Amino acid sequence: MDRITCAGLIKQKLTPKDIVVCGLGSVEAAYKQVGPVGPTYFASDPMGLWASVALGLALARPDRRVVFLAGDGDLLMNLQVLATIAAVAPANLRIVLFQNGSYASSGGQILGGAETLSFATIARGAGFKTVIEARTEDETRKALDQLFDGKSLGFVAVHVARDKSPSEAPGPLAQAEQRALFMQSLDA
Amino acid sequence: MPQGETPAHLIIAGLKRAGIDLVASLPDQWLGDLIEQCDADPAITHVKLAREDDGVGICAGAFLGGRKAALICQNAGVLLAINALGGMAFHHQIPFLVIAAQRGAFDDGYYYQMYKGRLTEPVLKAAGLPHYVIDGPEHLHLVEQGARQAFLSRLPLTLLLRRNALVAKREG
Repeated sequence: MDRITCAGLIKQKLTPKDIVVCGLGSVEAAYKQVGPVGPTYFASDPMGLWASVALGLALARPDRRVVFLAGDGDLLMNLQVLATIAAVAPANLRIVLFQNGSYASSGGQILGGAETLSFATIARGAGFKTVIEARTEDETRKALDQLFDGKSLGFVAVHVARDKSPSEAPGPLAQAEQRALFMQSLDA
Repeated sequence: MPQGETPAHLIIAGLKRAGIDLVASLPDQWLGDLIEQCDADPAITHVKLAREDDGVGICAGAFLGGRKAALICQNAGVLLAINALGGMAFHHQIPFLVIAAQRGAFDDGYYYQMYKGRLTEPVLKAAGLPHYVIDGPEHLHLVEQGARQAFLSRLPLTLLLRRNALVAKREG
């Protein structure tokens, strides 16, 4: 399954009330291609920080579901954050990992340990109670149903095909400007 | 310092006056009392970190959602998190307060702490991040004022607290 298909399946489960924190690189490109549903905060460098940003948002907005769309290279930089998130276990936070074992936007370099690494095992070990791993479109559909229909913190690792995803040219707005617009959109 | 008020009491009161009710922390010996009281306070959400840059992310996410937050850590954590502070928080103009134990100066007693005292201020200055050193509990009004400056300037502001500003003197 390619990452665009995966993003499309996620989109089907989102509502306009959901707040999305979208990881950078190939995840961002995929989610932008299918078209964001509700308020979306797009990550930037530094990598590795965005799971904790999603946690902070979930704690600030318990009235809204917060969905973190993660890349595996990004998440691998700060794996300990999974333990922090599992300890807090905000009921409104969901994580979907695009797992392709490569740094797609920097040229497709392979992650160290890509062939043996199990993010699902790590998430379980960190304390996540709902952890699902999906490899096909059908498995992904079912995993996302369980994740989004559930009432508690959950983690889905979706295996997606490797493809290169070169960085796009910068848009008209810098991150500080996007940040202000995002905050405004939350209360719209 | 009024009798019965420890530095931890004064710091938490300052945080509350500034509207901060979410704290992410990683321990240090000098921060023990403060972190214990944050954890015990029902009006404060306390997140226990494994790495300080996750605290930057949590404080940033909280601000995006309309909540004010503080990161409490040692100055080694400020050094570790400088990429998150100078890269993400500065670049996205996201404010919060950092309360850091300023280890590694005249009031410290370990070889391995010294580099932290030498590096922290120049590194913050190089990153363009505002900071103040707090020498003692009589200056802890800077917690509230520093937080207000952070939110007005849309930048993370770091308070570097010396031993006297964190550890209550024992009576007798």
